[in-house]
Amino acid sequence: MRKPLYQRIIGYVVLIFFLVVILLPFYWMFVTSFEPNSDISAYPPAYFPHHWTLSHYEEAFGQFHFGRYILNSVIVSITSTFFVLLFGSMAGFAIARLPIKAKQPMLIFLLIISVFPPLVVITPLYMLLRDVGWLDSYQALVIPYTAFNLPFAIWILRNYFLQVPGALFEAAKMDGASVFMSYWRIFLPLTTPGLFTAAVFTFVACWTEFFMALVFNPDNTMRTIPVGIALFSGQYTVPYGTIFAGSVVSIVPIVILVVIFRRWIVSGLTQGAVKG
Amino acid sequence: MSKAMEGHASFQTDGRRASVVRHDVRAGFGMLTPAGIVILAVTIFPILYSVWMSFNNIQLTENGFQFTFNGIQNYVDVYSAPLFWHSVWFTVYYSIVTVAIELFLGLLIALAIQNVEKLKSVSVVVMLIPWSLITVISAEMWSYIYNGVYGVLNAILQGLGFIHSPINWTGEPVTAVIALMAADIWKTTPFVVIILLSGLQMIPKDYYEAARIDGANGWQIFWNVTFPQLRGSIAIAGLFRILQAFGIFDLPFVLTQGGPGSTTTSLAMLGEETLFTNLHFGLGAAVAVSTVILILGACLIFLSAFRGMVGEEAQ
Repeated sequence: MRKPLYQRIIGYVVLIFFLVVILLPFYWMFVTSFEPNSDISAYPPAYFPHHWTLSHYEEAFGQFHFGRYILNSVIVSITSTFFVLLFGSMAGFAIARLPIKAKQPMLIFLLIISVFPPLVVITPLYMLLRDVGWLDSYQALVIPYTAFNLPFAIWILRNYFLQVPGALFEAAKMDGASVFMSYWRIFLPLTTPGLFTAAVFTFVACWTEFFMALVFNPDNTMRTIPVGIALFSGQYTVPYGTIFAGSVVSIVPIVILVVIFRRWIVSGLTQGAVKG
Repeated sequence: MSKAMEGHASFQTDGRRASVVRHDVRAGFGMLTPAGIVILAVTIFPILYSVWMSFNNIQLTENGFQFTFNGIQNYVDVYSAPLFWHSVWFTVYYSIVTVAIELFLGLLIALAIQNVEKLKSVSVVVMLIPWSLITVISAEMWSYIYNGVYGVLNAILQGLGFIHSPINWTGEPVTAVIALMAADIWKTTPFVVIILLSGLQMIPKDYYEAARIDGANGWQIFWNVTFPQLRGSIAIAGLFRILQAFGIFDLPFVLTQGGPGSTTTSLAMLGEETLFTNLHFGLGAAVAVSTVILILGACLIFLSAFRGMVGEEAQ
């Protein structure tokens, strides 16, 4: 069924307009990161830069610590994602396949948990981390990130485990496989799409989180990317060139991740929308 | 394998089955334990502790935190501060206006994508990029675009003849709020688009076919087929966004620092400032608990407004 011509033309015009609006700021940040400071603060600005320089990239990764910020973000995000997948898949499997009581209350409870804003947990956690001397450490972020991303992962993975036929579980049991074995050997490999979805969502959430990272890890060597950028300021003016150079480098891996995993992201959003 | 299964089934007694079930229950709770412990330790315990904190006067001394129970004094102090009510008002109108605009634009873009088969997969990728963008980066990006001295937005608007002299966007109350809203709408509308696009794709093609055979025009099809079928997705997208908008922190923290004055100070920013700049932990906890109550209230109001529609979707 082909749409009428006028509908398609309106669709094209509206869509292209908004795609340009979404992409233009990225273009502006990208070219600014290659401009010398004199051009960055020129008015009116040149829409296409006259002079190109790599000096901001040298500053960001030589003089300043953007490399360290990116490394911290990678370590924290990957570790948190690993624990979310491990604990989340175990819990999701138990809720989907094992004869435990109160499954519905558990799921609703998870939903309510994910509604609470970080503001309400941040001070007690801060006091706790301060008492045990864990401020400015990786675990200060990995533990809360794991907890905050578990509810969504459990929901998503439970839905995927439900799609695997229950007969498989019974058959494995008959053959003498333990519950954990049938989870690990049979169910987990069959739910890789669910694991991808949960992984991308957790990774992006950890990568972008700012509030807790700001409060728990303010030390310059332990900052993640958002904290490093937010607390990065020059003496007189905002050093946009350096900030954007670091930003461009930190955006590239995420964009690649999004392009590769776009199917799982969309399916995650849809599942969240329909069943969440 | 089927033979083995039959063999087992034939001598399995009720007693044996019961013990297997008991074993499964134990295994089930075993597998829930790691997630349960992390969630309890990092969310439930701190939430309850925050409530307790909000009824105490807390001093940071050399020996750590000293608690003195002072009843509802923190709440009295917070609720008698004009800045608190200013933050509540700002957070509420900011959330309502941005989410409403996002839902409208999101629907418009989703419908456009639906009509343009060729650009669909490219569009989805473009929509996902702002979604995955660190808010702090988007805030820096917009602060450069809005800059009052050399910002490109002023150059464009001057070039088009809309303004005569550059505007200091984040320096004046009205323009600061508009600038903040625009940056937020730019970043989060794509998320709404993805959810609504998925909703659009789930509407059976027959519905459109039937409506067209009945002689309905595009507008009638939208109001009588598309929109009613999409209400569940709109409700979910709106709920997600309201939850996020009420907790807004990153964007004003970088873009406007809550200013000019305290024009764009959200509840989360006020809480953060009370807690970690002024070190008033009891007052901060009272702000945090009040924020949660406000958010839960907003969710309930939004959900009851959309109740029938979410119910339909669930079936």
